[in-house]
Parts: sequence; C-alpha cells; structure tokens
Amino acid sequence: MATPTITLTGSLGRANVFTALRALGAVMKREWMIFLRYPSWVISLFIWPIIFPLSYVLTAQALSGRDGSGMAQFQAATGLHDYIGYIAIGTTIWMWQNVVLWNVGFSLRNEQLRGTLESNWLSPTWRFAYLLGSSAPQLLSMLMFLAVSAIEFALFLGVRFQGSLWLVLLTILAAIPSVYGLGFAFASVVITAKEANAFVFLVRGMVMIFCGITFPISILPGWMQPIAAWLPQTYIIDAMRSAALSTNGLSAIAGDLKILALFGLFWLTVGYLLFNWMERRARRTGAIGQY
Amino acid sequence: MKSDLLLSQPTNASHLRALFAIVRKDWKQYWRYPLNAVSTVFQPVIWLAPVYFMGKAFSVNGQALGFAQYSGTSDFMSFIILGAVLGNFINAVFWGMGYALKNDMDAGVMESNWLTPIPRLLILIGRSLTNLFVTAITSLGMLVVCGLIFGFRPTGDVWAAVGAIVPMLIGLYGFGFAFAAVVLRMREANTMVDMSAFLVQIFSGTDFPVTVLPKWLLPIALILPLTYGIDAARGLLLRTNTLLSIGLEVALLIVFMFLMLWLGSWIFYRVERRVRTLGTLGQH
Repeated sequence: MATPTITLTGSLGRANVFTALRALGAVMKREWMIFLRYPSWVISLFIWPIIFPLSYVLTAQALSGRDGSGMAQFQAATGLHDYIGYIAIGTTIWMWQNVVLWNVGFSLRNEQLRGTLESNWLSPTWRFAYLLGSSAPQLLSMLMFLAVSAIEFALFLGVRFQGSLWLVLLTILAAIPSVYGLGFAFASVVITAKEANAFVFLVRGMVMIFCGITFPISILPGWMQPIAAWLPQTYIIDAMRSAALSTNGLSAIAGDLKILALFGLFWLTVGYLLFNWMERRARRTGAIGQY
Repeated sequence: MKSDLLLSQPTNASHLRALFAIVRKDWKQYWRYPLNAVSTVFQPVIWLAPVYFMGKAFSVNGQALGFAQYSGTSDFMSFIILGAVLGNFINAVFWGMGYALKNDMDAGVMESNWLTPIPRLLILIGRSLTNLFVTAITSLGMLVVCGLIFGFRPTGDVWAAVGAIVPMLIGLYGFGFAFAAVVLRMREANTMVDMSAFLVQIFSGTDFPVTVLPKWLLPIALILPLTYGIDAARGLLLRTNTLLSIGLEVALLIVFMFLMLWLGSWIFYRVERRVRTLGTLGQH
C-alpha cells in the first residue's frame, strides 16, 4: 500500500494585515482584562491627580507670602496669574510621562517575568503588536487620568480653564507620539538591559529638572536651557498651559505643535527601529528567555 | 529517656546575639546593592530642583521675602532640604519597615525565622536599627550633596536639633512596628504605602510651613507628632518660627516616642497572633 505523502507549500499560519490586526486586538483585550482585574488603580486615579501637585502648590503659596508679594514676581516671569493651574498642568504632564515609562516601558519585561514572552514570540504574528497592544489600554487609562485631573483641579484647586477644549485635545493628540514613542524605545532598552529602573529615574528626572513643570524655562541657567529645548515634554507643557489656561488661541501653540510633530515622528521611528534591533538581537542571542 | 534540658535556652545574651545577627544580615544585604544608596543620595536633587527654580521665580533679588512671612526665614532651600532629609526617614519607615516582614515572606524565610526561640518583636527591632543607621548615613550624604548644589546654611545649634530629632525618630520607628504588622496582614499594600508616605510628608510639612494649609486641612497637620518634630528641628537649626515653644514641642515628641513604642508593639503582637491563628504567615 502506498504511503500518502503530504507536501506543505506554505506555513501553517499565514501572516497578513488581518492576522496582525487580530493579534493586536487580542493583546489589547488581554491587557484590558488584566487592567480591570486589579482595581486598585481606581484609588490612584482619583487621589494622585490632587496630592502630587498639591505639594508644589502649597510650596508656591508659601513662597508667595501672606501678602502675595512673591506672586507679582512670579506673574512677571510667567505672564500668567493662575499659578495653581500652571503647576497642576506641569506636574500632570510629568505624571503622564512617568506612568508611560513604567507601564509601556516595562510591558515586555513584565511579560518576560511572567514567563509568557518566549511562547508569544514563537507565534507567527507581527511582534510589534505586543508592544502596541499593551500601550492602547494604557493610553485609554491615561486619557481617563487626564480628564479626572482636569475635573479635580477645577473642583478642589479652583483652577479656571479659560482656554479651549479643542486646543487641549489637539495638544494631547500632538503629544501622544512623543510620549509613547519614548515608551516604545524604552521597552526595547529594558528588555535588553533587564533591571533598568535607573533609566526611568534618569529620564523622569530630566523632565522634572529641565522641562519647567513648576517654573518658567527662562529661570534656568543659560547652559540648561538648550537641554530643555531638546525635550518634547517642554513643548507639551508649554502648549498645554497655553491651550487650557489662556485665550490666546491656536496661533500661540502652533509653534509647539509643529515641534511636537517632529519629535513624535523621531521618537516613533526610534522606538520602532530599537524594537526591531532588539528583536533581531534577542533571536540571535536567545536573550528573550534570560532574566 | 526524659530530659529537663531544652536544646536552646533563650537568655538576654542569646537575644543580643540574635539582634546582632539580624542587624549584620540586613547591613550586608543593603550594601550589597550600593546603587540603591547612591540613588537615595541623589534622587532628592531631582525632586528638589523644581522647588529650587520655582523659588527663584518667586524671589526678588534672590530673597524669598514672601516665604519669610510664613516661616521666619527667606532661606527657603535650607528649610526644604532639612524637610527632605527628615522626609527620608518617613519614607524609610513606610517602605523599609512597612515591607520588612513582607520581604521576608516573599524571600521564603519568614516561617523559619518565626520558629526561632526569640521574641518576634526582636526581628523588627533588629531591622529598625539597620534601617535607622542606613537612613542616617544616606541622609547625611543627601544633606551634603543637596547643600553643595542648592546651598544649606544652618544658623542654629546642630546638637540641640539632633536632640529634638531623636525622640521623633524613635517614635516613628515604633509606628513602623504597627505598620509592618498591618502590611503583613494585607500582603499587597503598595498603593496604601505609597500614598500614606506621600500624605504624611505633605501634612507634616516637609516641603512647606504647615500654616500654609487651608484651615480645614490644618488640624490633620496638627495632630501628627511628626509636624512638631520637623518644626522643632527647623526652629533649632535654622531659627525659623515654630508652631509652639520648642520646649513644648520636644515634650510632645517624648510623649509620642513612648506612646508609639507601646502602641506599635501592642498592635504588632495582636496582628501577629491573628496571623498565626489564621495560618496565613506562609501565604502570599
């Protein structure tokens, strides 16, 4: 009896755009389920937007004095009257970048620690979907965080948002590629360097020192100001303050938005290239399974 | 065969030896990762930079005159650096002491340590001593680094300030006994610890004079003994305005010290008994 022969002409999984999208959807669904499974984030969502800026706001209040004499100096330096809104927006952008560095930056590393990265890596799908899919629920939670922050600032800190909601949304849209591009780049570095907490401290520290979260950049010494100009968060904070607190309109933030578009393109490209480099390196050295 | 002899005879000397072993083990473990110490020393520079530059935006000719109206000194950076140094101890108690037993549990040595014939509180006392020494060393490093970068100019009596800080720290570590027990019971308490440490630092005025707080929040600051400890230390070292007379603040701190040592131990033993009854000591 003749033995039947089976000839495989293609791979069992045929990767195409639709399978990549299905994989992306599956990763997003999984991450969303994990996110909902640990509801302690609800407490953080409501408490942190108030308590983190509060410390700087109260320090600013002490600096302004009982008679508000320091305030005139601050107003001359910033051109704004609402120092609470000024600080609240700066610190909120810092918190956004900080959370993205920890969550998106460590998403692949966490998967590695859970022991599921290697098996996922073997599936015939678009691997960047793991990173992109992990970021989507994170982005949604951060948009909720930004919305809750704005409501709480108005209710509890008395911030008066005189600007335009549309310009605020436009600024958020322009900020997303830079903030998340940096997160993607980070994720690849973390999976290579393993214990990379120090990198997070370094990047978030730079944002805190150089990007003017509580003060105008013009206060920085001359040698520090060019460094601030090379960090996208400087422009995000500047544009967001103008969009939310002033009535200066689109023309006041147009310059910042253009620069953010360039930064966004740069960081998304760097993030994608670093991911591909890490992926090739991981396959060559077997680093995916190493702790 | 019947024997009246126990294999181990706990005595004061054996307790001291156990205490020394715990301190030595924690000390070795801490310095095994020296980058942590470097990070503790340099991290405050990052946190203090926005305050430093913000202070400049509020100052006229380098003088924070508005700040002086609340605190009695225009040297806002010395005021805030001292607060950050003392805040370092608060963080050390919340994170280091709070997680002392939980870390043992995660490392899988909790149950075996619990079976040794020593008072269980001794395990925490040993950890407190190392935590206190290590935090004192890193805080001193932090003070030097921040002083060099931002400027720290004490004008008062250093030893008197240290004398006021000591009962506050002992009381704080007494609170740590209770907190460690609560974390042991809760197991996953990161959010609680993170927020509690941050809120205690805000309300005890590590970053600003508490008189800045709105009237409805000020009572929270005034019921925290740490507020008086930080206030007295600033009053003695920087000659700032104080909430009460320094003598009264130190007396309050001494009461706080004894109260927290007693309350911390009491809560620890209660939770420990509860955990033993439930049998959750080995559960994660």
